[in-house]
Amino acid sequence: MAMPGQLMFVRQLGPNARLLIWLLVGVSSMVLDTRYQTLDGLRSGFSLALQPVREVLRAPSAVALELQGFFTRHRLLQNERDALLAERAHWQNQLNDTQSLARENAELRGLLQLPARPGQQVVRAALLYQGHNWFAQRITLDQGAAAGLRGGLPVVDANGLVGQVSRVYPGSSEVTLVSDANQLTPVFIERTGQRGLAAGSGRNQMELRYMPAQTDIRRGDRLLTSGIDRVYPAGIPVARVTRVTRSQSSPYLRIESQPLAGLDRSQAVLVLVTEALAPEAQAVQP
Amino acid sequence: MNAPAQAFGSWRHIFGSLILAVLLEQFPWTGWALALRPDFVLVGVLFWVLYQPARIGFGVAFFLGLLADFQDGVVFGQHAIAYALGVYIVLFLRLRLLQFDPLRMAAQMFPVFLAVQLVVLLAGWLAINPPDNLAILLPVLGSTLLWYLLTGFLRLWHGKSLQDRT
Repeated sequence: MAMPGQLMFVRQLGPNARLLIWLLVGVSSMVLDTRYQTLDGLRSGFSLALQPVREVLRAPSAVALELQGFFTRHRLLQNERDALLAERAHWQNQLNDTQSLARENAELRGLLQLPARPGQQVVRAALLYQGHNWFAQRITLDQGAAAGLRGGLPVVDANGLVGQVSRVYPGSSEVTLVSDANQLTPVFIERTGQRGLAAGSGRNQMELRYMPAQTDIRRGDRLLTSGIDRVYPAGIPVARVTRVTRSQSSPYLRIESQPLAGLDRSQAVLVLVTEALAPEAQAVQP
Repeated sequence: MNAPAQAFGSWRHIFGSLILAVLLEQFPWTGWALALRPDFVLVGVLFWVLYQPARIGFGVAFFLGLLADFQDGVVFGQHAIAYALGVYIVLFLRLRLLQFDPLRMAAQMFPVFLAVQLVVLLAGWLAINPPDNLAILLPVLGSTLLWYLLTGFLRLWHGKSLQDRT
């Protein structure tokens, strides 16, 4: 029987046909996106439309944090200030050392006629949005192409490497975290200097791949970026080894580690913007 | 019984609620709240497919699915396919679902939400890589609860009791 509002005679496609059509459209958009990256325009459109909304909706939590800060105790603030002053004195000392070393380094490089290292700028960015991390561990930052960001730049926080800029929109950018399963980071073991390749292994974990069974590595060793990829500057802390297991069947060790940066906590991060290499230097690269 | 189906559902209601659902997902959710967050947009779409199938259908669901794909930074099409399938299941079960009171309807919607989420899982598995764990199934609980609260609230709003008297 015909229901009110329902036509007696069907003149449009039935649900089966419609489902089939939309499934075909869906599968082809998946193919277009994974194989040919032709849908990035749509991503930019979504990003432009949603960015102002996200910035407004971020405000309530920011206000809550402000209020929380307003009601901290005076004593606590004083203690914190004393600690910060002591820390500043310490860093001031370090800075003096670093400056003299940098001068010396520049002179030596000049003597050896090595090209100067590319200069580096820092762009401060804050977390704008975080999606589900079921398949891709990504966060969205509130700085984009307008601030000079481009794909491939490293992102760090106070404790270590956060990840790499993977997509750039005009006013925001997407960062793939080091714990993403498709993200590889060239590292070296701080204690021994041995180089290796760290890959994300899902939720806030990383693994160091292809280390031969006789490698000298133990729990607690720090992994730093090695810098041989020319993407990350050398020496950024990446992870700390949490477990080393030897397997009978594999010639390699199974090394698990924990990223040092607060991947799921950091609200403010720094993007390291290296100045583009000179054209002749780029031509040498394969 | 089916009176609410005709009593509300103007374009203004439909667009207002779907826009609200999209806005709710733009909050900076983190941690457990993010893991358990109901899929507001999916609940909104399936709700309107149930009550206004002539107005909201595959096209809208597919487009909002693309939006969900953008939010999670995954391949375009993953959620879109799953949402389209959810619409199909609801259209298929529509006359049956409309007979139930909110609690039973939510119980019937649970497998639908689960099916949608399993399709997201499967599509991601094929297109990107195997998932790390099954946390992807957690929002099903949130969505079911949201469905119950939403339909229950609307029944009370229309001056009916929460349960059918038999």
